[in-house]
Amino acid sequence: MRMTPVTILVGVLAILAAVVFVMVFWPYTHRDMTPSEIYRTRSPGEESGRVIYIQNGCVYCHSQSIRTIDWGPGAERIAQAGDYVGDKPILLGSQRTGVDLSQEGGEHPDDWHIAHFIKPRYTRPNSIMPPFRWLGMQKIKTLTQYIQSLGYKQADHRMQRQRYWKQESIKAYEAGPEYNVKWLAEQVPAGWRNIPNPYPTTPAGMQRGRKNYQDFCIGCHGPIGDGMGPAQPWIYPPPLNFTILKGRQISGGIIYYQIMNGITGTAMPYFKRELESQKIWEVGDYVAVFFINQSDANADPRGIDAAWEP
Amino acid sequence: MALSASVNPERYRTARAFCLTSAVWFGAAASFGMIGAGYLIAPDFMANIGFIHFGKTRPVHVNLVLFGFVTPGLLAAAFYYVPRLLRTDLYSEKLGVFTAVLWNITLPAAVISLGMGYTQGREYAELPWLVDILIAILFALVVFNIIMTIRQRREKILYVSVWYVSAAVVLTGLTYSLGNVIWQPSTGALLGIPDAILLWFYGHNVFGLLLTPMGLAVAYYVIPRATRSPLYSHTLSLIGFWSLIVVYTHIGTHHLLQVPVPTYLKTIAIVDSVAMVIPVMVVLINLWYTVKGKLGEIHADIGAKFVFTGTIYYFFVNIQGSMMSLPIVQRVTHFNNWVVGHAHIGVLGFAGMTALGGIYYILPKITGKPLYSKFLADLQYWLILIGITGFAIVLTIVGLIQGQAWINGETIYRVLPEIHPYYVSRAMLGVIILAGAYIGIYNVIRSLYFNSGETS
Ligand code: HEC
Ligand code: HEC
Ligand code: HEM
Ligand code: HEM
Repeated sequence: MRMTPVTILVGVLAILAAVVFVMVFWPYTHRDMTPSEIYRTRSPGEESGRVIYIQNGCVYCHSQSIRTIDWGPGAERIAQAGDYVGDKPILLGSQRTGVDLSQEGGEHPDDWHIAHFIKPRYTRPNSIMPPFRWLGMQKIKTLTQYIQSLGYKQADHRMQRQRYWKQESIKAYEAGPEYNVKWLAEQVPAGWRNIPNPYPTTPAGMQRGRKNYQDFCIGCHGPIGDGMGPAQPWIYPPPLNFTILKGRQISGGIIYYQIMNGITGTAMPYFKRELESQKIWEVGDYVAVFFINQSDANADPRGIDAAWEP
Repeated sequence: MALSASVNPERYRTARAFCLTSAVWFGAAASFGMIGAGYLIAPDFMANIGFIHFGKTRPVHVNLVLFGFVTPGLLAAAFYYVPRLLRTDLYSEKLGVFTAVLWNITLPAAVISLGMGYTQGREYAELPWLVDILIAILFALVVFNIIMTIRQRREKILYVSVWYVSAAVVLTGLTYSLGNVIWQPSTGALLGIPDAILLWFYGHNVFGLLLTPMGLAVAYYVIPRATRSPLYSHTLSLIGFWSLIVVYTHIGTHHLLQVPVPTYLKTIAIVDSVAMVIPVMVVLINLWYTVKGKLGEIHADIGAKFVFTGTIYYFFVNIQGSMMSLPIVQRVTHFNNWVVGHAHIGVLGFAGMTALGGIYYILPKITGKPLYSKFLADLQYWLILIGITGFAIVLTIVGLIQGQAWINGETIYRVLPEIHPYYVSRAMLGVIILAGAYIGIYNVIRSLYFNSGETS
């Protein structure tokens, strides 16, 4: 084959044209832009938040693309083409240094996000997300508005729930510690309230509990469990001061349930995705022993002796 | 070095300008990479400097690496070998130098716009419209200069390197404009899923139609020259060239295998990604057989040493790439540092190594003097080789840790402490690469302008 300039140029251009036709143009003309059932348009505020998201390169650490094999936040709904019909540019992302944000709206109330943007280590002690305090409060709030819209109608549903329980929890908090503790405990299903912590208090368990407390809780509840962690100024109702729980019939079951499910409306997140059962019992016992100074670990009723106990 | 006795200082001014451009921006790009790696270890270290936090440093790093270091480096060699292979002068050295100057205006414009948040938010197509236009103009100028040089050639037969480089610049000029949706100045994007399809068609062609052909062109020039042996096979060159253009353009959708895009696109992408072994192995067999029995000569020439190492990384990155395109593998490797490892193996191990090789191979020939320091070039070779090999190992391990943990249901937050030590070692290896880059700046500047060495 003689490679003349004309052969090369005409050849490669013809190939490119054919491939663009098949791989880009054809899918473009046959695109299906039917919105999915969760889609709605974004409000102007949410749109401006999205601009801040793009400007600051959040997309290099956060995907918006849930796959069939995912477990983490948002994995309740696998992405569909119709979820993206309002996205220009589309922000699928190619790295998951941080979590997927497709369904982030309503996972947390606004105050959690604001504390997190100011300094992610406040709410997530091991986070490697850069701090965004320098954006200024105005932009942080706009950004939060966008984040809370992620997931569209499903996010709206979760946000409604956050707002309702935010009011309820503030009411309880403002009625004083006595009432607040009682109110919090009453939200836990009855069965759980009577369950003591089934794991005995052991030095090894305490060590593990402390480790998880430092990795997950310390930014809010503070190093001494008084609720004065660095996130406290941005969170309302503020993180619970564990030391007021003593003598108020807070069982291991209540603590477990609150850690597992979180307290919607307050900044208290749920940890069931992050911590398996034993880890929750142990961090709960750590809180009980060190901060509340009262633990029901391994107390009756206990059922058949556990096989692994000494 | 009998050839260079006739070096006239007016000749090769373009090649010189591009050598300098590439060396300097390599230092800058690696510095930004270093800042990025620092953020992943200590996110509060440089907190509240809005201009350089991770989300801004990363696109600056990637764009500088692609358009500041590798592309100009490969072009520098092209501006030397294209006229030589065609037995003529470059059509216009003035135009060439002007291109290099405009190039050095465009890059700071890119850094500043990304730093200030003027980004279109699409990976590899972030740059705002004005900078896109500048880059399109740059490619047009290069195309014009090369085509006109081909027209005034005195050698009838076009050598393989000329095929590759002319195809690369022409096709990239077009796919760049297409991929950046240049007809939509305000957003530079399409709506919804078609945006992702177009983006990755273009994004993959940055590697497939720019870095790979330009890198192979340098390899096709330097390797036979340095070993003073004819190319192994003309037929293999032909097959390698045409199959590259046909197959590589089809595989962009392998970036979207886990996204709701039409299935036929995924099927084509997977099949062609595996079929990539043809253009890759054909070229490598051709080049490696040319070297057969002559590794000593490769070893003796620092430029050829870089280029030959580049071909070895080319082998690795493509084998790895074909594997990563299989859905079963991509379940584990997608979204994590495995891909970052692959990216560095490809863009630094193959394209970057080759660009450096091209620069060091032509420097004595365009200045008429030996390199300022062969020792420093050798040192740089080892620093970068150690750095990139370390990157490949460390990032692959982290990728596997992340991928396996996620697939077992561990959350991203919980895996963060596990990968921290690897991020630290990556940064340490980064320092090694960074040192190599700075040494390169010094050596190239000394070789170009302050070289007291004897004219050979
Ligand atoms: C260096 C990468 C990085 C960048 C850049 C980054 N993040 Fe993050 N992000 C993370 C990591 C890691 C986590 C997980 C730990 C945590 O919750 O802080 C996270 C968590 C989050 C969460 C909490 C998810 C949850 O419910 O637990 C939100 C919301 C978030 N990021 C939003 C953003 C926004 C908005 C931006 C851009 C302004 C951004 N991130 C930029 C890495 C990053
Ligand atoms: C982002 C801040 C934040 C983090 C992180 C956090 N908490 Fe909380 N926590 C709160 C807030 C706010 C409340 C509820 C305060 C209220 O309504 O008065 C709360 C309440 C609780 C309660 C409820 C006690 C009761 O009597 O019902 C428990 C138990 C608790 N947290 C334990 C933990 C543990 C253990 C961790 C770590 C695994 C943790 N929290 C992490 C903010 C946080
Ligand atoms: C046979 C050839 C190749 C194949 C099949 C291939 C395959 C792939 C695949 C499947 C991905 C996506 C991974 C994911 O997101 O899960 C990828 C990413 C990437 N590849 Fe390759 N690759 C090849 C060659 C190369 C070469 C030669 C280079 C560089 C010159 C390169 C540079 C990159 C880069 C930079 C990325 C990262 C893209 C991103 O930001 O997500 N690849 N490759
Ligand atoms: C000092 C040395 C370097 C360091 C410390 C470094 C660090 C980094 C970091 C931290 C990222 C972001 C990864 C992430 O999101 O997790 C990155 C991405 C990237 N770097 Fe580097 N880098 C260095 C040198 C280079 C060089 C010399 C090249 C090419 C010649 C290069 C090419 C790339 C590419 C193509 C990406 C994008 C990866 C992707 O999209 O998946 N880097 N680098």
